[in-house]
Amino acid sequence: MQTEIKIGGTVYRIEIEEMEENILKVKVNDKEYFFDKSKLYEPEFKKFLPQDLGTTAKENGVISRERIEKEIKSPLSGTVSSVAVKVGQEIKPGEKLMTLIAMKMENEIVAEGYGKIKEIKVKDNQFVDNGDILIILE
Amino acid sequence: MKNLIRRPAEKIKNYKTLSSTNSKAKELAKRGTDPWTIIVAEKQTGGYGRKKAAWSSPKGGLYFSVILPKSNIDDLQTLTILAAFICAKTIKDNFNLEPFIKLPNDVWINGKKVGGILTENIIGKEVKTSVMGIGLNTNVRKFPKDLENIATSIKIESGKEADNQKLLKQIIRQLKEQLKTISE
Repeated sequence: MQTEIKIGGTVYRIEIEEMEENILKVKVNDKEYFFDKSKLYEPEFKKFLPQDLGTTAKENGVISRERIEKEIKSPLSGTVSSVAVKVGQEIKPGEKLMTLIAMKMENEIVAEGYGKIKEIKVKDNQFVDNGDILIILE
Repeated sequence: MKNLIRRPAEKIKNYKTLSSTNSKAKELAKRGTDPWTIIVAEKQTGGYGRKKAAWSSPKGGLYFSVILPKSNIDDLQTLTILAAFICAKTIKDNFNLEPFIKLPNDVWINGKKVGGILTENIIGKEVKTSVMGIGLNTNVRKFPKDLENIATSIKIESGKEADNQKLLKQIIRQLKEQLKTISE
């Protein structure tokens, strides 16, 4: 969703995007802020001021970009059947990362957020446990 | 008083030829197509089973995929295994045949494969989309030489013509019942 708001003569371009189930990205002009939706309606959220993203933010339901998907972990145990991405590749939400054969099914693991691949920790035919790191993002 | 509770009717999308009903179902599911939409193809040119093993899909067979409602991964696994039982039972109920289940995903008759099931999930942190593909060799009259010792069809085994539409509806009804039971 995109919109523009005017506050005291300054126009702000606002873009809101749902990143994953609980994360909301709000872009104000060119600056991105990430919010934990589950905390949006808690009273302390109102006190949030965007200047100090690193410290106040976490306590008030805002998550810095670093906290989002630095590590992509396996959502289930299984065998890697094929890796669909390469180191250095930019990925976006919904992009196929790899296929895991698990629980008698084929499972396409997709990205939840944006990022650039720094390291791929698994290879074809490798068994992974639920929670094992599959990919590290820059 | 009118009964206002309606069972959600499945939508069936029929295609003459598809590369794979599962691929089509995944594509539609990603675009938000409703659960219990069924994708049926008269033949598949790139049908596949587990680990992308080719599934021969000439005209005459019943090839379809179901877009499943969002479910947890354990329930999807159970449903996949139950699907093989449902297919075997449907064959047994409609024809004088004794199919057996080659766990987890295949149905055999007289030592040859007659059907298979492949569930594919798209997962981020949790399951986003699931499709279940079922291929049944119903009215396939003849298999290529390299398959004739390992694959068979209802037509070859029973001599009877199968009503694909009727079998499809019976299987879907049972899948719905089972998923409801296991997810409760």
